[in-house]
Amino acid sequence: MRIKLIAIVIQIAAIMAGTASAQWLNYPAPGIPRTKDGKPNLAAPAPRTADGKPDLSGVWSGPGPGSYDRNIARDLSPRDIQPWAEAIYQQRVRDMGKDAPRANCLPDPFAYYHMVDVARIVQNPGVIVMLYQGTTNSVHRTIFTDGRPLPKDPNPSWMGYSVGHWEGDTLVVDTSGFNDRSWLDIEGHPHTEALRITERFRRRDFGHMDLEMTVDDPKTFTRPFSFRMDQTLTPDTDLLESVCEHDTSVPHMLGGTAIKLAPEVLSKYTGTYQYAPGRDAVITFEGDLLFLQEGANPLKLPLAPNSETEFVARAIGEHVEFLRDSQGAITGFIYHGERGDRRAVRKK
Amino acid sequence: MRLHLLASTIALLLSVTASAQWLHYPTPGIPRTRDGKPNLAAPAPRTSSGKPDLSGIWELEHPPCHAGGCADYVGAPEFLNLGVKLKDGLPYQPWAAELVKQRSADLGRDDPVARCLPSGAVRILTFPPPRKIIQTPGEVVILSERDVTFRQIFTDGRPLPLDPSPSWNGFSTGKWDGNTLVVETNGLRDGAWLDRNGSPMTDAARMTERFRRVSYGRLEIELTVDDPKAYTKPWTVTLNQLIVLNTELLDYYCNDNEKDVQHAVGK
Repeated sequence: MRIKLIAIVIQIAAIMAGTASAQWLNYPAPGIPRTKDGKPNLAAPAPRTADGKPDLSGVWSGPGPGSYDRNIARDLSPRDIQPWAEAIYQQRVRDMGKDAPRANCLPDPFAYYHMVDVARIVQNPGVIVMLYQGTTNSVHRTIFTDGRPLPKDPNPSWMGYSVGHWEGDTLVVDTSGFNDRSWLDIEGHPHTEALRITERFRRRDFGHMDLEMTVDDPKTFTRPFSFRMDQTLTPDTDLLESVCEHDTSVPHMLGGTAIKLAPEVLSKYTGTYQYAPGRDAVITFEGDLLFLQEGANPLKLPLAPNSETEFVARAIGEHVEFLRDSQGAITGFIYHGERGDRRAVRKK
Repeated sequence: MRLHLLASTIALLLSVTASAQWLHYPTPGIPRTRDGKPNLAAPAPRTSSGKPDLSGIWELEHPPCHAGGCADYVGAPEFLNLGVKLKDGLPYQPWAAELVKQRSADLGRDDPVARCLPSGAVRILTFPPPRKIIQTPGEVVILSERDVTFRQIFTDGRPLPLDPSPSWNGFSTGKWDGNTLVVETNGLRDGAWLDRNGSPMTDAARMTERFRRVSYGRLEIELTVDDPKAYTKPWTVTLNQLIVLNTELLDYYCNDNEKDVQHAVGK
């Protein structure tokens, strides 16, 4: 187990290494409205292009890790996910994401880049280009705004084919033509070639842009769902170059555990635990996995078994060890985290 | 079994799209002759600011194809040897000449692109798959079909950074000299190959490119590389590009279904 955990750490380190020691560019970009003290005035009005449309150009950051990047379906209930998709999702969690496209130097879905990454939008009449710093490699995506329709039978691709039109001051982008190999999030929700994504970009002011994304893939989810991932302008800097070295990282990835525990075993762990008064943690189970939900955070962390009492939180490589009393009853757990251990006691 | 890496690289290039469906969408605004054919000799378009507009999809000019027609992607001789049209070839320092010999003897086994690493700032202009230029008032972007990646050229007046992070594409700024966009690049890292022969580039390199769209259908690029560590003097080559109409870039990731590296054993 330790070796597997080390592998995850190496994987994460490999992803981080691209920027950890990098020198961030700092250049006061022209055309940015500034307050008297020279700071960018992010509350100034949004700029407009010559044709009067809002100009979305600039370097934008997403809300950051812990939004929908780990689990795009976090607001859905299990019945909203088709059974085959839930089964694949659970398998990928158990496999610690060994076969994730990003682990193999292939791109993340562009939704991910708008959540946790930096994107430069370059707007021109007829075409908008999004340059993504990228987690694996720096990639780009084109949105045609010249009135063309979506192609009827496009080549399935990682970025899909995007067309956009303006509804007032909102840019509405429709994308289809995805392949069925990309993962919608880090934990591993799949999608099919039937996926359609609609994005609505509205630059509220100079420094802030609303972004609502709607995911519609009836073969994977029983209904379309939408979520917000509002963007903040990142002035006076630029994208760094991101390059993934496939053959130096992939050999270290060993994959996950083959252990499956029976429902009657998993059900023994479900219930409410307490780190401290007022700091509850709830354990539930679904399929072959346990889920840990802490406090008011809606994100449920999937836990795959490494043994009957030890589970790994695959996305972040941390693990949870359940404690038993002499009669074998579960009395609590220790969360072995990056920042130290947290001990929780089962509530009566 | 030994595979000739050059052959396998080219096969790889072709196999990715051999069965792909080429996008077909009429490029808007093509000037046409009286009989309705694209008039590639028409003047270069201009932006609202009056500068030549370099925007378009471009491929490196290559010799005419055989009677059977062109392959999907045609490699120009500069892709194999960047100095092919220079009388004495590229002016290698002795160690660099030795290295190029060694790399050729190894059948280019260690070429970064054979390991799905970036093509770099020069080969983004010479790779057989096309590239697309998007020109905005403050920036010119070169989109690469290979690996769906990009190079940025800032034209908003910013200077080159004094100590940039070394990177495959470097850091580029451009300014207009009449109808020519003059692009300066620094911040290049060691290790990029400039061609399949393995001509090296070091972190001492500075690049100057002069982009001039001489007509609707033709973009002339003059590239000067000043890399005193690897070359005895600065040298200049032309990498002229021809417009590609009525299509779009495809989505091409080198690491997609990558199975070649294990076969690249060299000699």
